[in-house]
Amino acid sequence: MNKWVWLLLTVSCWMAAGFALCGSRQSQAGKEAIPPALPGRIVSMAPDLTEILFALGLDKEIVGVSQYSDYPPAAREKPRVGSFWQPNIESIVAAKPDLVITLTTTGFDQQKRLAMRLARMGYNNLTVKLEAIAELFEGIKQIGKATGRRHQADEVVCDIRMKLQKLSNLVGAGEKVRVLWVVQREPLRVAGRDTFVNEMIELAGGENAIGPTVHKYPPIGAEQVIASGAEVIIEPDMGQQDLSAQQESAFRYWGKFENLPAATNKRIYVIPGGEVSRLGPRLYEGIETIAKCLRPHLFES
Amino acid sequence: MRAEAMDQLLRPKKLIVTTGLALGVLVIVMVACSLIGSEDISLRTALSNSGVAPGANPDYEILVQFRLPRIILACLVGAALACSGVVFQALLRNPLADPYILGISSGAGLGAMIAVVGGLNWTLWGRSPVAVFAFAGALGTVWLVWFIGRLTGKFHVTGLLLAGVVVNAFFSAVIMFLTSIAKSEQVYSTIFWLMGNMAEEDFLVLWVGAGCVIGGIVALFFISPQLNALSFGADDAKSMGVNIVKTRTTAFAIAAGITAIAVSLSGLIGFVGLIVPHAVRLVFGPDHRLMVPLSGIVGAIFLVIADTLARTTIAPAQLPVGVVTAIVGGPIFLVLLVKHSRKIGWLK
Amino acid sequence: MSGIIEVRNLSFGYTSRSVVLKDIGFAVPSQTFLVIVGPNGAGKSTLLNLMSGALKPRSGTITIDAAPIESYSVQKLAAKVAVVRQESVPIFGFSVAETVLMARTPYFGAAGFESQADRDIVKDALELTDTAAFASRPLTSLSSGERQRVFIARALAQNSPILLLDEPTSFLDLKHQVGIYDLLKAAQLEKGKTIVAVTHDINLACQYCDEALLLGTDNFHRHGPANEVLSAEQIKDVFDVQIFAGRVGQERFFMPLGKLAKDNRQINAKTGELST
Repeated sequence: MNKWVWLLLTVSCWMAAGFALCGSRQSQAGKEAIPPALPGRIVSMAPDLTEILFALGLDKEIVGVSQYSDYPPAAREKPRVGSFWQPNIESIVAAKPDLVITLTTTGFDQQKRLAMRLARMGYNNLTVKLEAIAELFEGIKQIGKATGRRHQADEVVCDIRMKLQKLSNLVGAGEKVRVLWVVQREPLRVAGRDTFVNEMIELAGGENAIGPTVHKYPPIGAEQVIASGAEVIIEPDMGQQDLSAQQESAFRYWGKFENLPAATNKRIYVIPGGEVSRLGPRLYEGIETIAKCLRPHLFES
Repeated sequence: MRAEAMDQLLRPKKLIVTTGLALGVLVIVMVACSLIGSEDISLRTALSNSGVAPGANPDYEILVQFRLPRIILACLVGAALACSGVVFQALLRNPLADPYILGISSGAGLGAMIAVVGGLNWTLWGRSPVAVFAFAGALGTVWLVWFIGRLTGKFHVTGLLLAGVVVNAFFSAVIMFLTSIAKSEQVYSTIFWLMGNMAEEDFLVLWVGAGCVIGGIVALFFISPQLNALSFGADDAKSMGVNIVKTRTTAFAIAAGITAIAVSLSGLIGFVGLIVPHAVRLVFGPDHRLMVPLSGIVGAIFLVIADTLARTTIAPAQLPVGVVTAIVGGPIFLVLLVKHSRKIGWLK
Repeated sequence: MSGIIEVRNLSFGYTSRSVVLKDIGFAVPSQTFLVIVGPNGAGKSTLLNLMSGALKPRSGTITIDAAPIESYSVQKLAAKVAVVRQESVPIFGFSVAETVLMARTPYFGAAGFESQADRDIVKDALELTDTAAFASRPLTSLSSGERQRVFIARALAQNSPILLLDEPTSFLDLKHQVGIYDLLKAAQLEKGKTIVAVTHDINLACQYCDEALLLGTDNFHRHGPANEVLSAEQIKDVFDVQIFAGRVGQERFFMPLGKLAKDNRQINAKTGELST
C-alpha cells in the first residue's frame, strides 16, 4: 500500500486511541476529595493571602508561601513555593498540603489554572478574589470558613469595620481632599477610580483627582496632572531607597509643577508601601495613614 | 577505489542504526532530566507505593504528573521546531532560515494578544484561548505570506522572504499598538506566555500533539529525497523529475503546521530551529533522509536539557525556556556562522 | 526511435511586450548532435529552457518523440530529457556521489533509497566524466570546472535519450573542454543519445556537431547541417564581426578579427591615428 495511506491510517488510529484512552481515564479518576474541617498543612499562593492566614492565627499550619510574602516577618521564614506570577507546582506538591489557597485576578489566569490542576489531582484548593474592599471582607470570611477559624475571621472583619467607622466619624463629612495617587514616575502612572486604592482614598476622606479612566492604572501626561488640581500627592514607596531619600526626590520631582496646589503647598507624601499596595488585614492601618496625609491637623495629639 | 566512493552514500542500515542510537540517547536524557528539578525526588520512592490518595507519594506525583508530561512536551516542541527548521532551510535554500522567518512568530504573537486584549474565551480541548489563537495566528500568517509571495510570481524565494519581512514588521506594529492600549496584567500575561514556557499539559493535548508532530516528521522523511533535489533549485529539481509543486506545498504545509502546533503549545522558543539543523548537518551531512529524523531527535534532546536548566537554575522561580535557548544557542550559532561562512567561501 | 525533438512556430517573450523568439521551427532527429550558436541576447538559453519544459511558449509547439511537451508528467519528461544548466551555486555540502545520485530520485524505492542498479548508473556516470576520483568530496570543495563535470554526470545518470546543455564547457580548461565534447560525442555514438548544446565555442562545436542552429537577434534563425549553417558569411552576418575562416585537416575553424588584430592594424605614422 502507498506509504502515505499507511501514514494517514496510523495517525488516525493514534488519534482515535487517544480519545478512547482519555475517555476511560476520565471515568476512572475524579474522586471528589473531602476537604478536612481543620486543614493542618496550608499553602498560600499570594502575599495578601499569607497576611490573612497569619491574622487568623494559622501560623503553625502554613507549610508554604509565595515568594514575596514578607508580612508579618514570620512569613519570611516559611518555605517558598514559587511566586504569584510563577507558581512552582512541584514545591507545592512536595509540601503535601491539604489546602492550597490561590488568588484570582482578572486578566491573569495562571492562578486559576494552577487551582484547576491541583483540583484534578485531588488537592483541596480555595480560590479567593481580593480586588475590592467588600471582596476582602468576603475573602477573609471564606478563608476563615475553610480553615475552621470562622470566629477569628469574623472578629478581624468586625475590628476593621469598627475602626473604619471611628475614622469616618473623626474625618467628618467635610470637603473631600483631592488626591493624586502616583504608582510610577517614569512614565507617570496613577491609580484610577476603578481600583481598591480609590476606595481607600474615599474612606480616608479624599477624592481621586483623576476622573474615570479606561485603564485601572493609566499613564498620564503633565497636562492632566495640572488639570487634576490635586491638593495632595501620595506615592507608595517603591522599596528601592529608604523613605527619606524617596521623599527628597519626590519633592524635587514635583517641585516642577508650579501650578499644582499639591506642589506649591508641598503636600507630597511618600508612605510605606506594604499596607497600601495590597488588600489585607492591615487595611485600616493603610487607610489611617492616608487620612493622616489628607488632614494632618486632625491627628496631631 | 570505486566501491569506497559509493560507501559514502546513505544506506538504510546506517540510517536505522544512527536513528536508533539517537533515540537511545534521548531516552536516557529524558529519564535523567525527569529526576532533576527544584524538588529532590528519588526514583525508588516514586516507584515504591504509588499511592492513590493525593499527597501520599509526592515523589511519584511530581515525577509522573509534572516532570514527565513537561519533558514529553519539550521533546515534541524541540522535534517540531528542529524539523521545520530543516525544511525551511531547504525550501528557502538558505542555511540561516529558521521556522519563524516567514512571520509565524509575529502571527502567533498577534493571535495571542488579540485573544487576551479582546477577552476572547474560546477554548479547545481545555487549551487556553491564548494558545488557540496563537495557533490560528501562526497558520493564518503563513498562509498570508505564502499568498503574498505567490503574487510576486512563480515562487521566487526572495519574494517569499520579503513578504515575510513585511508581514513581520506590520504585525509587530499592531502588537505594539495593542500593548499600549491593553491593561498591564494582560500585557504581562501575554509577554510571559510568548517568551516560551513549558506549562505541563494534559494527556489528550500531549497525545494529539505527539500524533501530529511525529506524523509530520515521518511525512517529511518521505519527501526527503525530493528535498535533497530541491536544495539545488527548482529548475534543476524539476529537470531531474521531482514534482516541485507537490514537494514544496507538502513540505511548506507540514513544516508550518508543526511549527504552529509547537508555538501554541509553548510560546515562542527561538534558536532550536536554527541551530539544531546546522549542527546535525555539520556532523552528519546534508542528506535530508538522515537530517530530518536526526534533527527531530537532537532538537528534542536540546530542548529537554534547556527546559531542565530553565526550571532548576533559579529555582523555585523559572527562567523562560526561550531565554535559555537564546543564551546557550546564541554563542553556538556565532561559532557555526563563522565556520559555515568559511566553508562555503564567503571570503572567496 | 527516441530522442526526437520537433519545434514548430515557437514564439516566446518574458513579458507581454518583449519578443525573444518569433516563429522558430526546426526538427532534431534522433541521435543527432546539434549545437545552438548565436550572439548574446539572441535567446539561446531561452530556447533551451523552452525545449526542457522549464518555460512555456507563448505560441507554437514543442514535441518530444511525437508527444507535446505539456503532455508529459514531470517524471516522464525527466526520463526523456536531462538538462545541464550554467553554473548553479550549491548551498549545502552534498558530495559528488550524492549529487549525481539525485538524478535517480524518481526511481527510488518506497523508503526513499536507491537500488543497486541506480548505484551502478551513478558509478558509470562518474567514470565517464572523470569525476570518480572525488566522489566523496563535497561539491563546494571543487573548482568550477570540476563541478561542471559533476553536473554533466548527473544529467547522464538520468539515462535519458536527450541531453540539453547550456554552455557546458564555459569553465573548463582546454583538456577538459575536449574531454567533455569527446564524452558527449561518445554518448551520442555509443549510447544513441540526442545532444543539444548551446555554446560560444564555435570551433569546438564544429569538430563534433552534426547539425547547427544559428540564432540571431531580430528573430533570425537558420537550421541545417553544420557545414552549411556554420559558414564564414553566416557567422559574420549574425555576429556582426569580421571572420577569418580556415581549415586544418578535416576541422574547420573561424577566427573573429578585431579592428586592432595584427592583420588589420595600421597606424598612420604622421597623425597617430589608427586605420584599418
